[in-house]
Formats: sequence, C-alpha cells, structure tokens
Amino acid sequence: MISLQQTMVRYPRGKVALAGINLELHDGGFYYLVGESGAGKSTLLKAIYGGVRPTSGAMMVQDVDLRSASRRKIRSLRRRIGIVFQDHRLLFSRTVYENVALPLRVQGWKPDRLKARVGKVLEFVGLEDRMWSYPEALSGGEQQRVAIARAMSAKPSIILADEPTGNLDVATACRMLDYLVDLNRQGATVIMATHDMHLLQHHPANVVRLHGGALVEDGLADRSVEHDEVHPEAFSHE
Amino acid sequence: MSRTERQNPRLPGGFSLPPFEVHQALALVIVSIALWGLGLLWLAMVSGEQWINTWQRDIRFHVYVNESSADIDTLRERLKSIPGVNGVRQVEQGEAARWVEQWLGDTGLDHAELAGALPLSLEILPLEDAPEHLFGDIRDEAERIGAKVNEDEAFLANAHTWLSELRAYLAMITGLIAFAIAVIISNTLRMTLLARQDEVHLMRLMGAHEGFVRLPFILEGVVIGMVAGLVAWLLTLPLVVALDSWLVSASIHIHAVTILPECIGLGLMVGLTGSLIATARIVSPEEV
Repeated sequence: MISLQQTMVRYPRGKVALAGINLELHDGGFYYLVGESGAGKSTLLKAIYGGVRPTSGAMMVQDVDLRSASRRKIRSLRRRIGIVFQDHRLLFSRTVYENVALPLRVQGWKPDRLKARVGKVLEFVGLEDRMWSYPEALSGGEQQRVAIARAMSAKPSIILADEPTGNLDVATACRMLDYLVDLNRQGATVIMATHDMHLLQHHPANVVRLHGGALVEDGLADRSVEHDEVHPEAFSHE
Repeated sequence: MSRTERQNPRLPGGFSLPPFEVHQALALVIVSIALWGLGLLWLAMVSGEQWINTWQRDIRFHVYVNESSADIDTLRERLKSIPGVNGVRQVEQGEAARWVEQWLGDTGLDHAELAGALPLSLEILPLEDAPEHLFGDIRDEAERIGAKVNEDEAFLANAHTWLSELRAYLAMITGLIAFAIAVIISNTLRMTLLARQDEVHLMRLMGAHEGFVRLPFILEGVVIGMVAGLVAWLLTLPLVVALDSWLVSASIHIHAVTILPECIGLGLMVGLTGSLIATARIVSPEEV
C-alpha cells in the first residue's frame, strides 16, 4: 500500500513539485500517472522509491514512513521496487545479461540461481537469444524490454515506470505495456507515468492525474473515463 | 563474447574489480617507479647503517701531547677517571711511526726520525654505552694541559647520530612520497568512479549497501598498490643480487626476500589510503 496524506515535495531551490497530495494506491493495482510536463509525475515516482523526501505531510510506502526512514530502510524498500526509466539507463559497457543481473547481484543472489533467473526474465521479454549482446546492438524497443527485464528480475512488489514508452512507436509501446500488464497480473503493483493517452485505451486502468504538482480532482478523472475509458478509483478524496 | 566470459560474467559491485584500463596501467607504472625509488633509498640507508656498525665499535680516541712525560701520566689518570672511559693506553712513538708508514705506503722515510717527530699519544678506549658528551669531556681534559684531540675520530664516533638524523629525514621524505602516491592512486580511482558513476547510481537505486558499491574501487586501489610494491621489489632484485658479493665484503647483509613484505606492505598501505580518499564521498543523484 502506498499512502500519501497532504504530501508536499519542495526542491532545495524552492520549486514545489508536489503540493498537498492525498492519495492511496493499493497493492496489486495498475495505475497510470498522467499530466503535463512538470506536473509532478516523476517527482511522485522518485518520492515512492526514496529519491526525494517529502518536505511535509505523510508518505508511507509498504509501511515505510519516507519522511523519517533511515538509509537502511530506504535501501531495503528500494530492493522491493523495480524501476523502468524513459531513457532506460542501461549500462552500455555491460552485456544484456549483466544489466539484467544487476539487481540480483545487489541482493546477493548466488551465481547459479542468478543465471537461471536472468534466463527466465529474458525469456519473458523475448530476448533470451540476446543475453550476451551489448545494449548498443539492440533496437530502442529491445533496449526498453531489457530495462523491463532488469526491473522485474528481483521479483519486486512494486514496479515504477517513468514514461517507458516515450521514445517508442505505438505498436512497440503497446507491447511494452503488455509486459507491464502481465507483471501486474502476476501480483506486482505497477505505477506508470505516461503521456501516451492511447495506452489508456489499450489497457484501461486507474488514473492518477496531476496538474502543477497537485492531484486533479475536479472532473478530469471523469473526462478520462469518457475519453480514455479508464477507471478513476485511484483518487482518495479527503 | 568469449565462452569464458559467458561462464563467468563480470558483474559490478562487491568483490568484483573494475576492468583494467590504460589509466590504471599508467598509475601502476608511476607508483611502481616511486616505490622502487623509495626502496633504493631505504636500502642505501640500511646498508650505510650496517657498514658504520661494523667499524664504529672499534673506534678509539687519540690525544696528542707535546709536553713532558709527567704531564702525560697526569693526563692519563684524569682521562681514566672520566665516566664512559674503559681504558687509556700510551701509544709508543715507534708503534705510531709504524702505523703512519703503513698508512702512507712506501715513502722511504727513516723510521727513527719519523718516530721522533711524532707527538706522544694516548689511546682512549670508550665503553660500549659511553655517554654522548664523552668526547667533549676528553677534549676538556686534554686542552687543560695544552694537548690536542683527533676531531675526525669524534666525527666518526658520532656517525650514528647524523645517521639517525638522516633516517628521520628519509622517513619524512617517505611520508611525503607515500602521500603523493596515495593521491595518484586516488585520482586514478576518481577517473574509474567517474566512468562508472551510472553504474554506482543504478546500484544505489536498487538498494545496494555502500560497502557493496565502494568495495570494487577500494580493491582496485589496494591491488594497484600491492602490484606496484611487487614490481618495485622485482626491479630491486637484480641490483641486490649483482651487488651481493661487494656488499658482503663490506659486512653488509641485505636479503632480497626479507624486503618483499615491506615493498608489498607499503604498496598496500598507499593503495588503501588512496582508495579511501577517493571513495570518501561518492555523490549520486537521488541519494537519500
């Protein structure tokens, strides 16, 4: 469960990225984070994995209070979260195998278990034959699939995807979404920031709409239902 | 990708060294040469100390008297009473003349004439643990009756003093060079860190412990230091072997194997210091 109560995030230079957000995201849900650039989508995702601390209000992620959590607790939380970035942030000097194995290595998996797991997740994203390739030899879509494989390799309970389809064509973007939906069906909570409204039609789900750092509650969710065929139950009204 | 790499993929973090690249090789060469230079200086120092120890124990002080024999007896008694003096012996002029002839070589001088020209001399045998001011006391006693002391002998007798000063300077130089080496290693590691900052950032985002993130870089510093120590020893080895017989003839015993742990130990120390300096603060975005 991810719970935000009057959560505010202000960056050191004074910019308020999130302003008094009240939100509850339930375990096992699939959530779209939508809103214009600068609406606070990425900041919300960062706050969930402990990349920025809330300035005020309360924020709990899987029973971890992110305002007061120690480094050890944040590290422990991060081990339960898989992240997919728009620019995928793959290590180009490392093979696909090494990229995907990184979270497992961080968590101290033994090499024999690790190899089997990497094989399995690469099979899931259809890249088992590219295990020993370097990312530069892959297409943009394949690179993003490697990023998804890396995010899911350590079996996280939460997957955060920050505009993972931003640089992909429609067909490839839909395929990426299918992978995330599959992971959600396997039990992971998926929170995906996106600009691609067509994805909401491809796979309708809960929508969290942000505008100027605030949660929009004045009917935009209803408009989403009308136009994007999504469910607005993600909102938690005060 | 080779079969070996597939069987043992190179994963970052923990006990996994970053790949060896040009800048590490360059650092290794520089550190090896610096450690080699330091090693040579210390070998010279130890050899000098051993050589001085071989003759310093046998040093005698000589007092030359041009007055009557009565004064010699008085002086001998006074010298005997100085603390730190083990014995005083009057050197016969004939013995002194023989020593001078032996020292000068075949000069064709008349022995009796030479003996007559030489002053009367007293030879003072100091105790092994004689006080530092012994020579000063002897000089004071000698000058009281107009006798002269051999100042060169005092200089040689005090060789251990200036040698210990030299050792202190060398220790200081070693400290400075060791610090410079540590900085070189630290800068090399900073370059590696810079090249791998994405990797570090990702590992932190995945919840890696700081020890896990920093260990490869600390290991790299230690390995560079230790390998440089080994290279420095290997460079010193032929020199020690080549000079062995000459050193033994001067009663200097340097065993090449015994200096190996010192070379590697110093390398380890500077490597560890350099890596700790480099990894003291590794900044990543989104670090909490």
